[in-house]
Amino acid sequence: MNWLRPVAALAAMLTAMLVQAALIAPIATTATVSLPAVLVAAVAVTDGAAAGLTLGFATGLLADLGSTHPAGVLALVWMLLGAVCGLAAPSRRLRSDAITVAGCCVIAAAAATLLLAVVHGAGASVGAAVHALLPDLLGDTLLAAIVVPVVRAALRGETLRAPHPSTRGLEHRALEHRALGHRALGHAVAQGPGRGGRD
Amino acid sequence: MRRLTRRQRVAVVVLAATALCFITLDIGGGALNSAHTGVRGALGALYRGTDTVLGPARRYLQGVPSAGTNQARVQRLEHDNAVLRGQLDADAADRSTSARLATLQLAADHGGYRILPARVIALGPGQGFDWTVTIDAGTRAGIRAEQTVTDGDGLVGRVLEADANTSVVLLAADPGSGVGARDLTSGEVGVLTGHGADGFTFVPLNPAAVLHVGDRLATGPTGATSFVSNLSIGTVTAVRSGADGTEHAEVRPTSSPTALDLVGVILVGGGGSGGGAPANTDRPALSPSIQAQGPGGQR
Repeated sequence: MNWLRPVAALAAMLTAMLVQAALIAPIATTATVSLPAVLVAAVAVTDGAAAGLTLGFATGLLADLGSTHPAGVLALVWMLLGAVCGLAAPSRRLRSDAITVAGCCVIAAAAATLLLAVVHGAGASVGAAVHALLPDLLGDTLLAAIVVPVVRAALRGETLRAPHPSTRGLEHRALEHRALGHRALGHAVAQGPGRGGRD
Repeated sequence: MRRLTRRQRVAVVVLAATALCFITLDIGGGALNSAHTGVRGALGALYRGTDTVLGPARRYLQGVPSAGTNQARVQRLEHDNAVLRGQLDADAADRSTSARLATLQLAADHGGYRILPARVIALGPGQGFDWTVTIDAGTRAGIRAEQTVTDGDGLVGRVLEADANTSVVLLAADPGSGVGARDLTSGEVGVLTGHGADGFTFVPLNPAAVLHVGDRLATGPTGATSFVSNLSIGTVTAVRSGADGTEHAEVRPTSSPTALDLVGVILVGGGGSGGGAPANTDRPALSPSIQAQGPGGQR
């Protein structure tokens, strides 16, 4: 069922953009909340950097071409968003995933605004990027709380699970590696400088 | 923490470079214009379809945060509306006042006497038993009892009593007020009696006088009347013959006794002041109509 993943990705992409244009953008007038960005981040957190950066670039390019600013801005930013979120440690708990997604999306929105300010100059400025930070955090957290469970359920389901027939061994080793690294990192954080600094 | 594989790193670099290429192309020239147009068109069609589905939800959600403020806005707009309406009314009142003042000024110029503008601030205390109004000027402004009151067009009445700052005016429409009047067409003089809102009755002194409908009446020099002469009173609307053969006429007043606002007190005559009336106030010869006849008569 390999062909289902691109089709599902395209459908999710278009749905996210349409809902964004018809519902979220008109409501969130003060914030630069973006449902496609949240989708990209959620997919990346769930499925890794490869899927994240691919989907991010494709969605960003489509969104770019559909708007008036120079094409490539959102493609670049969302591709990096997918890659970074794909690097984040996969968590068993939905909440930490959602927080990761929301945080990355806020940063991505600010980065996109700054990049637009540099490139385009119309309506985007450093001040706007800073002003939008807090509303963005609120809106992105809300969206992530809705989108991350859905994306996770879809991608962990049988039909859309990532097939890696050729790199199964590599993937297995990478998973082990990841798990080890994650545990070590968690350990370090638990006994980390914060506690030591307090004492 | 995951790591990017080598292929992923390459992909990131390549895609970033591609994106930068796109940005450069799109800024530099119109290389991507057709792509923009095509995608925008396709998305626009999709937006329209989506909006028919999500539009109601969006409108509802857009209304929710402003539901409270909408109430406040409605109240504020209603208040503004009331204020503006009040201003409009005040403007209309100002316009009518200025028109009335202009008329009074014209009357003063015409008659050669000083007219003191005053506003009617109260009507008679009774329920139509006596026809009086109270105006907002009194002896301090020079008003004395028995002075004539006009609204610029015609006779209103006379000052019954003057206090320091207010005066009571007995309207000509009052049944107790007899006004000496002259029929300007026939020259007959007579006595005019008020009938409230129904107008006046004019009874000529000469029993054989012939009156016509449409004759204009003005204050005349009859008897002990203290009214300034040659103020328009009204127009004859009907002529009736009494049982004894005398005629009397029904007169429609020039100035309606029920629609008084700004009036003018003619500052001549009056008991207290004893002001010598200017010569032209009781002489019809000096009224403009007769002056205009002068040259014609010489010819």
